Amino acid sequence: MSMLSMCRWLQDTHIGTSIHESIWVFPIIETIHVLALSISVGLLLVSDLRLMGYIMVRRPVSEVYEQIKPWMFIGFAIMVVTGILLFWCQAVKAYTSIFFRVKVVLLLLAAINAVAFERGIYRQVEKWDNSLVPPLEARLAGWLSLIFWIAIITCGRTMAYTL
Amino acid sequence: MPAIITFFQWCDNTMLARAIRNSRLAFPIIENFHLFALTVLLGSLVVLALRQFGLVYKAQPISEVAGALRPWNRGSLAVMLASGILLFLSEAMKCYANTPFRVKMFFLFFALLFQFTIYNRMVKNEGASAPVSGKIAAAVALCLWFGVGLAGRAIGFLG
Repeated sequence: MSMLSMCRWLQDTHIGTSIHESIWVFPIIETIHVLALSISVGLLLVSDLRLMGYIMVRRPVSEVYEQIKPWMFIGFAIMVVTGILLFWCQAVKAYTSIFFRVKVVLLLLAAINAVAFERGIYRQVEKWDNSLVPPLEARLAGWLSLIFWIAIITCGRTMAYTL
Repeated sequence: MPAIITFFQWCDNTMLARAIRNSRLAFPIIENFHLFALTVLLGSLVVLALRQFGLVYKAQPISEVAGALRPWNRGSLAVMLASGILLFLSEAMKCYANTPFRVKMFFLFFALLFQFTIYNRMVKNEGASAPVSGKIAAAVALCLWFGVGLAGRAIGFLG
């Protein structure tokens, strides 16, 4: 089965057509997807800014990052669930949209950046935990995260205009 | 109220409004900035509320967390208002007849009023933990600002 026919099958499932045909369900899911940006990317921004050395610089990096992490994950969990539901009910249009494809690639890049940071320089965080401006590799991870997420939001918003 | 509709018509006819309407890219670009600023503005409020509820950053006094977030909160609010005014101008007559827009302005008025008369002053004086009144204020601020966002999203759906 090709990707396109898989998308068509998904969209034609009971759940897919129910969301699509309901007057209220789709806007409610999309509104939650948009407002949960504040809890996911909004909180991520605080730790990114700490990595860049722009916020709460007198506090250890690990404290700023670790304490906000569980809440950030709740935000991202809401994003993933609502995002999957939005994709589900318009899978074919999304699959054929260039903005959606770019968004998926950018999401992967953001995830790779996060994992590389955790497995890389963050392993030795005790060496630079209290530095006002963290080392280049950590600052870079913060900047890349910010750039990827701005691009992801842009693709997501632009995609909605074209669907 | 004829005075109000005249004002909306005037907005709709400004050079800026027409320029945005005549451009295919202006509206989406401005709306993207509106969305980035929403992320930062609501994000900063969520972090501060989490601190007031005693869920994060307990090693820092509340006033200090509020101080660290302040430039981001103010900056995003400025971008929010500037981009919001541009979006409004470009479709002022649509907004005039739009119920969610009115609800949004209602929430926006009270959100700004609450933040700049009560909330900001409260958090400046809160130390290691917030009193019950402080926690309630955090919840009220969140409800008002998320109300603005919710009604804002509804403008597009019920337009």
